[in-house]
Amino acid sequence: MRRVVVTGLGAVSPFGAGVKAYWAGLAAGACAIRPLTLFESDGFRCRIAAEVPELTAGSPRRSRADRLALGAALEAIDDAGLADADRAEIALIIGAVGGGMLEAEEWYWARARGEHPAPGAALRAILPGSHAETLGHRLGLGGPRHTVVTACSSGAVALAEAAELIADGVVDVAVAGGVDGMTRLCFMGFNTLKLLDPEPCRPFDKDRRGMSIGEGAGFVVLEAVEGARARGARIYAELAGHGMTTDAFHVTAPEPEGEGMARAMRAALAAAGVTVGAVGYINAHGTATPQNDRIEARAIAQVFGEGRVLVSSTKSMIGHTMAAAGGLEAVATVLTLTQELIPPTATLVTPDPEVTFDCVPRVAREAAVECAISNSFGFGGQNVTLLFRRA
Amino acid sequence: MQDRRAVVITGVGVVNAAMVGASPALGAWLARPRAAACVPVGGRPAARLPEATLAGLIDPAEARRLSRVCQLTIAGARVAVAESGIDPARGLGLVVGSELGDFTSTIAFADGYLARGASGLSALLFPNTVMNTMAATTAIAVASRELSLTLNVPGVAGELAVARGAAAVAGGRVDAVLAGGVDEIDPLVAEMLGALGDQPMRGEGATFLVLEAEATARARNAAVLGRIDGVAWRSLSARPWGVGRRAASRAIDAARARAGGAAPGWVYGSASADTALSAWESRVLRAALGADLPAASLGGLLGQHGGLGALRVAAAAWTARSGLLPDDDGAPATRVSGPGLVHGLARGGGHVALMVGAA
Repeated sequence: MRRVVVTGLGAVSPFGAGVKAYWAGLAAGACAIRPLTLFESDGFRCRIAAEVPELTAGSPRRSRADRLALGAALEAIDDAGLADADRAEIALIIGAVGGGMLEAEEWYWARARGEHPAPGAALRAILPGSHAETLGHRLGLGGPRHTVVTACSSGAVALAEAAELIADGVVDVAVAGGVDGMTRLCFMGFNTLKLLDPEPCRPFDKDRRGMSIGEGAGFVVLEAVEGARARGARIYAELAGHGMTTDAFHVTAPEPEGEGMARAMRAALAAAGVTVGAVGYINAHGTATPQNDRIEARAIAQVFGEGRVLVSSTKSMIGHTMAAAGGLEAVATVLTLTQELIPPTATLVTPDPEVTFDCVPRVAREAAVECAISNSFGFGGQNVTLLFRRA
Repeated sequence: MQDRRAVVITGVGVVNAAMVGASPALGAWLARPRAAACVPVGGRPAARLPEATLAGLIDPAEARRLSRVCQLTIAGARVAVAESGIDPARGLGLVVGSELGDFTSTIAFADGYLARGASGLSALLFPNTVMNTMAATTAIAVASRELSLTLNVPGVAGELAVARGAAAVAGGRVDAVLAGGVDEIDPLVAEMLGALGDQPMRGEGATFLVLEAEATARARNAAVLGRIDGVAWRSLSARPWGVGRRAASRAIDAARARAGGAAPGWVYGSASADTALSAWESRVLRAALGADLPAASLGGLLGQHGGLGALRVAAAAWTARSGLLPDDDGAPATRVSGPGLVHGLARGGGHVALMVGAA
C-alpha cells in the first residue's frame, strides 16, 4: 500500500468562497447560521440554515450544487499546483446526495402550478451523479470517476475511496470531496423528522435540540507521497488511514451503543498503524441531535477512553452541510494540524454531562497534535472515520 | 501496482421482468433468451416487473415498510446471498449501483407538500429520498456490516458497482462483497427521460453477485461460478449526456493488465437503441481489441436499468463456464472460449471494463 498525502485544499462554505474565509470563520468561532433565504419556509418549526452567501464559480446555467463543487474543486487543484498538469489519469470521486434537486424542485413546483416548464437543464442535472459528469468534463479529469452516496457521510467516503485508488496504485493523484446545496426536500424532510433546532444548533450542549442545515463543498487533492515529493508539492498532511462500517441496524437511527462508529474509528487507527494516544483531536460528526451526540461520545469513549481526546463540532458554525460535511470537515481537520489550532464548538454553553470530553466550547484553542480524525456518520448507519497525520 | 487477491463469484441473484432466481435461472434464460414483456410506462414501453411477482418475493409485513425499489434490491440481494451460502457475520461489504434511485418516493414526498403544505409531508417517505436507502435496508436485511457504498452513475451503475466491489476484495479490504445494481421505472421519470432524448428501452430490476476472495471461497467449499480477473474504470472525454469522439480506452487496457494481459475472446457490451452511443462503443472496442469480437448486450431484451450491468457480469461468468454467448436477436448462441470482457460505456463518458473467466 502506498502512503497518501493531502496537497490541495478547497472550500466553499457558509463563510464564503475559499479556504481562507472558511478557516477564518472557524478560527473565530463565528456562526453562519441565519434565516433561510433561498426558498419559502412558511409553516416549518425551523426556518434557519447556513447558506453560502455568494456563488463565484461556474456559469449561472449550472445547478447551485455544481457551482459549489466547481468552486471548491478548482481551488483545491490550483492550491495543489496542478492547474497545468496532465489530468488524463487523475481520479475524481465526489460524495453527494441532493444533486441539482433545487432547480428540479423549481421545475416540479411550476409544473404543479399548471405551468409547462421545459425539463431541459433542470432535470439533466438532478441526480447526484451529475456532479462527477460535470466536474470531470469541466476539469478535464480522465481517471476513475464516480459519485458515491452514503447520506451525510458521503464526502468522507469520497476521500476514503480516492485514498484507496492511490494506495492500491490505480492512480497517483485524485480530486475528492463532498458537495450539497440547499434543497427544499432536505429542509422539509429534516423538519418533518423533527431533527432541526429552530435556533442555531448546539452540539454536545445539555440543552441541544437538533441540527441546523447548511450547504457547501469541500474538496482535497490527494497524492501518493512519492509523487508529491518528486514534484516538490506542499504536503499539508497524510491521510494515514480510514475506516468504513455499517450499523445494519436502522434506516435513520444510529445503533445505540455506537458499535459501528467505534469499529470505524478502530479500523482507521489500525490502517494508519497509530495508537489512540497519538490522536489529539476529533472533528466529531456532532450534529447536535440529542441521540447522535450521545452515541458518538459513547463510541469515542469506547475507543479512546473517557476524556482523553479533544472533541469539537464545526457544525456549530456552518450547520450540517450534508454530503459536503465530510469534505469540509476533512479540510478543517487538516488545517487543525497545520495551524495548530482546534476549532471550537462555538455554540456550546452548558456541556452535556453524558459527553465526557472537552468539546472546546466557544473559543478556538491552540494545540499541536500529531494525529487528528474526522468522523462522519450517515442515515443507514454509514460510518466513516478519516485519520490525518502531520506531514 | 500492488499484489492483488483473486476474486470469484459465488452467488447470483436476479429479479427482473424476464426472470427471477439464482445462477441456474439465469443460465436457463441465457440458453434461450426471450425479451421481457413490455408495458407502457410514462408513455414509453418498459420492461416492468409485474407487481404480483414482486409480492411473491417479499413478505407482506416487510414490504409495507419498504419502498418498491428497496424491495427489488432486497429480493435480488437475498437470492445471491442464499446461493453463495456465505455467512455475513464473517464480514460482508455491500456496493449498490443505481442510475435513478427512488424517484417514486421522492415524487410522493414532494406531492405531499404541494397538496397540503408542511402537514402533508411524510416522515416515513423522507429517508427514501436519499439514494443510499436501498443499501441501508439491504444491509439490514442481509446483515452486511462492512463498507456500504451506493454509486450513482448513468448508464454503467451495475458494472461499476461490481468492479468496485471486486476491487475491495482484491485489495484485501474485505473478504466478501455483495455487489450489484438496481433501478425501478417510474412513470414520470420515464416520461421525462423520453423528453430529454433518452433512447434505450427502459427496464427495471436488481442483479447482485457475491464476490469473494478465492482463498476464502475455496476454504469454505463454496461453489465458484466464475472469476473476475481484472477491473478498471475511467472516464472518456464527453459532455454530460453527450457522446465523445475519442476511442482510446485506458479502462480496457488497465483491466486486461490486472488480468495478466489476457486477451478476451468475446464481449458483453452496453450496445442499445442509442445508436450514437453504440457506434462510439464499437469504435472504443475495436481500438482496444483490434477486431470485432463476438458480442452480446442483453439490453434490448431486458431494458436499461442499474441492474443490467451486473447481470452482464453474471452472464459473462455463465458464458465462460458454458462456452455459449447468447444472441440478442434470438439466433442460436455462438460458441466461444477463454475469458471475456464486460464493457460498459455511457453517455457522459462513464467507462468500465471487467475481465471475467471460468472458475
